[in-house]
Amino acid sequence: MYQFITGPLLWLAFGIFFVGLGARIVLYIRGLNWRLDRVAYRAHIGQGIRGALQSILHWLVPFYSEGWRSKPLYTTIFYIFHIGLVVTPLFLAGHVLILKERWGITWWPTISMGLADVLTIAVIITVVMIAVRRFALPEVRILTTFYDYFLLLITVTPFVSGFLAAQQFGDYTFWLYTHILSSEALLIAIPFTKLSHIVGFFLSRGQIGMDFGIKRAWKAKGGFAW
Amino acid sequence: MPEGILCNKLPVTSKEKLDALLADTRGRQYYEEMEQIEVDVEKLQNSLQATLKSRLRTWLEICAHCGYCADTCFFYLANRKDPTQVPAYKIQSTLGEIVKKNGNVTNEHMRYCMDVAWAKCTCCNRCGSFCPYGIDMGVMFGYLRGLCYSQGFVPWELKIGSGMHRIYRAQMDVTSEDWVETCEWMADEQQDEWPGLEIPVDKEDADILYTVNAREPKHYPEDIAEAAILFHIAGENWTVASNGWEQTSLAMFAGDWEACQMQVKSVYDAIERLRPKRVMGTECGHAHRATVIEGPYWVGREDGLPPAPYLHYTEWVAEALRTGKIKIDPEKRIKELVTLQDSCNYVRNYGLKNVTREIMSYLVEPGYFVEMSPCKEYNFCCGGGGGLNGIGRYREQRNMGLKVKRDQILATGAKLVIAPCHNCWDAIRDLEEVYELGFRWSFLKPLLIKMAIVPDHLKPQEEEE
Repeated sequence: MYQFITGPLLWLAFGIFFVGLGARIVLYIRGLNWRLDRVAYRAHIGQGIRGALQSILHWLVPFYSEGWRSKPLYTTIFYIFHIGLVVTPLFLAGHVLILKERWGITWWPTISMGLADVLTIAVIITVVMIAVRRFALPEVRILTTFYDYFLLLITVTPFVSGFLAAQQFGDYTFWLYTHILSSEALLIAIPFTKLSHIVGFFLSRGQIGMDFGIKRAWKAKGGFAW
Repeated sequence: MPEGILCNKLPVTSKEKLDALLADTRGRQYYEEMEQIEVDVEKLQNSLQATLKSRLRTWLEICAHCGYCADTCFFYLANRKDPTQVPAYKIQSTLGEIVKKNGNVTNEHMRYCMDVAWAKCTCCNRCGSFCPYGIDMGVMFGYLRGLCYSQGFVPWELKIGSGMHRIYRAQMDVTSEDWVETCEWMADEQQDEWPGLEIPVDKEDADILYTVNAREPKHYPEDIAEAAILFHIAGENWTVASNGWEQTSLAMFAGDWEACQMQVKSVYDAIERLRPKRVMGTECGHAHRATVIEGPYWVGREDGLPPAPYLHYTEWVAEALRTGKIKIDPEKRIKELVTLQDSCNYVRNYGLKNVTREIMSYLVEPGYFVEMSPCKEYNFCCGGGGGLNGIGRYREQRNMGLKVKRDQILATGAKLVIAPCHNCWDAIRDLEEVYELGFRWSFLKPLLIKMAIVPDHLKPQEEEE
């Protein structure tokens, strides 16, 4: 069982994840249309790329954009959540060990167990805060659907189960298997749901950056990052 | 009823149809018919298939429902944070539903879409500047307006407006003859005070081709005279076109893309015919948006640019002040608190924030200029953009929305609001009418004329007897 779910099934999950996100990128770019979008992508490609990078950078770095500065509390929660989501699985010593055992990769950096625990707890707490925000604030509640809670749930499950397994809480095998399977389910779900914003963020921001860089703000010198 | 007599899916293309619509006071019959007309689902599906591409689809799909856009919208703020005014909700419940149901929507839903697309969004694009994904709901509402228009669900005034463009190539019933006569009349009227002042029509190879808003010849001809006086003072070699003189586009507000194309083409044809070095528009925001920013795409210009460099009026004023073509009498500079309205269409959506501030530095005595908060690219819409000023059906919603601009202006303590945009100017005038707050508002032209130093050779000669 362990061999299967960390072997072929893992391969399958990663395959779907990468191929799916790759397809998202290709389809998005192919679906851009200079006349319908009213952005002359090709004619001003240099200006466009500059605008795209400016836009992405301002929204990738915490508090760099006017938008992030406008809601400091939520922005903080949001960044803690996303940093934990990305850093923990990629650099957890236990995960990197698999890379070493399977492919002999030894150069992959790791984070300490202590930091991993802090980040995992941070993810769990921020998920709860985001969920509470969803029903506490009328302007967010009106937008929220069951689907939004479902996405939070499938995102946090690998963290909760992984944490419980690492803490040797109750039945280790149960939590470990739950962790592995829920993580694989998450990887598979990403390309098919809004979680595809892993690439969608860069595409969408890049596009609006090109729109402003080429067309709507080309006369604004510096400062405005949409 | 598949189609109404007045309210239907067909554009207004003849004077008879236009007159019939105009005769229907406040669109009473028009809106009654609207409740009965059929939605052409197949046509809607085909439109979605052909025009809803990755940018819009992705925006609708990845919206995180985070509510970040809520307080970026002046309608949301003005309506006491009513959740149904959250931009993401507004677009998801309208266009989002149409897409989800692949066009299988009812007449009732289309009327709801119309009410939201025109009375709850002015397409100011402010929400787009605050969304982490850069989802621009102004752009999406523009798109939705196009779908609504094609199904016959468009406010009465805008059906008329886009019809005007189709018939007169102007937003109002001003013919080429009316326009040229107005120019001649305005030039004649100024001769006592400004001897030798001309409004040259169809002059080829001029330095500047000047385009206007049809309201000017129709209702405010003095605006054309003022523009002429300023060109006269600045010694510009300029002209206007007998055809293709109208820069605005109610068709853009209506979502009638075909009429948009016709209108802009008439201006570009004039540019190609008269070969001016540069083109320049009047103090109007949406006219600039339509003819300079979006227009090239409507007519299919792959470089996304108009046929000649096209300036906004404020760009020319800043240049004229900078180069000394127009000199301001320091004694006459404004010495009371004054603030500036940033037009969404050429500030947030074209980047001219510094140009207007440069103008302020010449016109206003240091220490008297106060910024609104927020300002520049993040300024709030005046409350009347996107055609809302002109729609009787939504007057109440418009007046409600004005409160945000009212409070912004009051917070500056300014006695004068400079609004170099027709729609902003109107909204601020109406704001004063509704709330009676005691401030004044102005375009740049009258202020410049009052303050400019008139070169001696342009002054009327004393009669020697």
